Amino acid sequence: MSNMFSITNIKNRFISVIAPDIPPLPSAHNHQLHRGNISGAASNYQLRMAHQQKKPDKFAYARPRFLQLLTIDELRASADHNVRPIIVPRDTNLLPWGTGYAECVNSGKSEWNEDQAAFARQVLSDPTHTHPDLPYTYFGIFDGHAGYGAALAASHQFHHILHEKLVDCLELLLSRESDNSNQESVFPHPSQFHRRVSKDELIIGALESAFFNMDSLLAQDRDRYRDAGGCTACVALFINGKLFVANAGDSRAVLSQRKISIACVEKKTTSTAIVPATSSEAGADIQEVFAVPFSFDHTPETERHRLLTVARLKPHLMEKQYAAMEYAKRPHMKDLGQRILCRQGTMKGWTYKTLTREDLRMPVVTGEGKRSRLLGTLGVTRGFGDHDLLAINTGTQIKPYLTPQPEVVIRDLSKIVSIPDENNEDGDYGILVMATDGLWDVSENDAVARTVFQTLAKYPTEKHRYTMVAQELVARARGKINDSGHWRLADSKAAATVDDISVIVIPVYQYYKEHVEWEKKYAELQQKRQSVICPSATEAREDEIFLVNGVEKAHVEEEHEDDEEEEVVVEVNRQQAQATIDLEEERHSNIESIKEVVELVDNELTEAISALYAADSTEDDKNSEKDSTVDTPEKTNKSTQQQQQHHRNRNRKDKR
Amino acid sequence: MSYAYLFKYIIIGDTGVGKSCLLLQFTDKRFQPVHDLTIGVEFGARMITIDGKQIKLQIWDTAGQEAFRSITRSYYRGAAGALLVYDITRRETFNHLTTWLEDARQHSNSNMVIMLIGNKSDLDSRREVKKEEGEAFAREHGLVFMETSARTAANVEEAFINTAKEIYEKIQEGVFDINNEANGIKIGQQHSPTNPSLPGAGNQAGSASSGCC
Repeated sequence: MSNMFSITNIKNRFISVIAPDIPPLPSAHNHQLHRGNISGAASNYQLRMAHQQKKPDKFAYARPRFLQLLTIDELRASADHNVRPIIVPRDTNLLPWGTGYAECVNSGKSEWNEDQAAFARQVLSDPTHTHPDLPYTYFGIFDGHAGYGAALAASHQFHHILHEKLVDCLELLLSRESDNSNQESVFPHPSQFHRRVSKDELIIGALESAFFNMDSLLAQDRDRYRDAGGCTACVALFINGKLFVANAGDSRAVLSQRKISIACVEKKTTSTAIVPATSSEAGADIQEVFAVPFSFDHTPETERHRLLTVARLKPHLMEKQYAAMEYAKRPHMKDLGQRILCRQGTMKGWTYKTLTREDLRMPVVTGEGKRSRLLGTLGVTRGFGDHDLLAINTGTQIKPYLTPQPEVVIRDLSKIVSIPDENNEDGDYGILVMATDGLWDVSENDAVARTVFQTLAKYPTEKHRYTMVAQELVARARGKINDSGHWRLADSKAAATVDDISVIVIPVYQYYKEHVEWEKKYAELQQKRQSVICPSATEAREDEIFLVNGVEKAHVEEEHEDDEEEEVVVEVNRQQAQATIDLEEERHSNIESIKEVVELVDNELTEAISALYAADSTEDDKNSEKDSTVDTPEKTNKSTQQQQQHHRNRNRKDKR
Repeated sequence: MSYAYLFKYIIIGDTGVGKSCLLLQFTDKRFQPVHDLTIGVEFGARMITIDGKQIKLQIWDTAGQEAFRSITRSYYRGAAGALLVYDITRRETFNHLTTWLEDARQHSNSNMVIMLIGNKSDLDSRREVKKEEGEAFAREHGLVFMETSARTAANVEEAFINTAKEIYEKIQEGVFDINNEANGIKIGQQHSPTNPSLPGAGNQAGSASSGCC
């Protein structure tokens, strides 16, 4: 292994990883071409790399733990660049709810697969035992460049950081009665800066600050460990009945969905009336498959505005080597004094200017699409690491242009009204596909969605059906090697990806079901608490449910209309939350005085939650379906009534 | 641990014939009566000694189900040896051998050594395929043949090691281009024809390896 780290090797490899379309230059040749501070920068770089070699890795290279590739022999076999085997978990039960995963190494651009993936199932528990534990599930996918260290560190450490951040705001996340109701009645003077912060904002904040902390951690580790390179980060978090996707970089999360359109439903019912036997087939044919992006790619092209703003506000970062300009065609010395079509700084449109010597500098952002580059070097503009990354040829620092700041997208699963059936077992909840750019470079979002449902249809009952989906997606993106050693897509003969590919396939519906069950358990326990405190309350509650049963239908329909707009919901249902809080508060007023009872109930709750977690993913579908249909109305009932109550409160407040 | 050569193997055959169990018996010397369905591919490795040389076997154990066939095909590339396995208690797994062989011949390099294996020889009472039939098939298609039992470990060592011997002979004859890794052979750092420091000689198998090269 040691011979691989000779300086030129590292450099060539490093260049080809970051800018694969730029041929690696021998460093001596490089020096002759550019004298002065450039060669100085290059030799500094070599010194630094030589120094870097002596430092150890923070984490020994490994593949995600759930793959169980435990020996170096297995690791080596999995990184066979000639065959590029598709690796899936040998035990699919290790991932929750049959989540699919598959990966495949690059065709030789780096020795190891520099992608990483991770997941965690955790519980936020209240040290005071006044609230039930809140479970959550996290998935992360990290695409490394210029080394495997950053992605590896992120896959080991990110979820611990995130957990800490969530624990930091634990009492606000767990509380159901929170102080909001009091705040609402007292309008603070504007000078008091009193802002109500929603739970969603807290979770977004936890994700964002975790991204920043992960990046700082890599910065700190530079003194002790070998240069880790950099990585993108795409993270999905299922918590409190909602899905949060936080992304920095060009990995991507896409929700694959299908829907039976209204016209088709009619057709289906008529066909059912005439020929019942073919109804399901007709239904399957007219299902519409579509993909909803749950993240935005951060590349020099998509982030051009931000990068040029940085360059414009801090011109010294360009070190007189780059121009905060973009030219319609690359200007040459012979064009000096002539007019050239360009856009300056953050302009969107194009204009003419007379070419000066300064215009011969390289633009901060060059190229288009997948080939766009920052400072001629890097193709991704957000993520972790890259603290020591220098631009090719100029040695200019790149990190100041980068940021770990993620963009966060939310989907409220409880707002989706859909009862999965045999034609659409995932309902409108969809299948979340998270993957590195190895997949997305050669596959359109919609094509991915089609493959998802085609493959699921092929394996209707298999426990490992989502793994089969992941495997199929990777197999298509990897393609086949032809006689001249090039990887080609099977259907179009176009170039397949030569990059590492990693894909996670998540059945979203399961997390809604999980949440409904949790809510049910929670409500039961609340009821128990209450019945212990004042036995008559149980009866009252039963009346309450009966009373609102009629309202339930209207409410569901109303929500369905919202749903049809198919928007990605980035807003909290404050009313619902608030209303729940109101009711809970009434109940809670009694509880505090009887501590023993609370403790008793809490023990039961802990048991219930662990039971919920132990629940096998292969549990009887019928059972769970029944549960969900029973649960949903009950939940909506509660919230409908509470909403009304809340409206009353609000009206009172408004009058004031 | 350093090796003179690394040979890449692939194990193929219908689902449930005992491919994963053969691998487990060879690498870990144990038998697992209930083995999960292999999805995709799994890897195993072990060091053996042939002619006084340390040879590492890197073994790719593939999924036998029809659904995985197209992905499995891409794994023939770069294999120096293949174990084609059928179950002596299930006639259909024997009948499918021709398809497997066609696949293997089409997608591998022409020098790949193929060993035909009739597994589950311990279940003689339920035998559906006679040993002579296996022998005849092997003779007809130019394969080496053996009956094994992953449960009792009978002939398991021999199956893997005899395949390696055959590959080794082909190298000596100059049939394999050992500088082309796509042939499934890699040269290690340990080149000297006789290395006195090596434990044991001849065809004795080394212990299961977990070290790095």
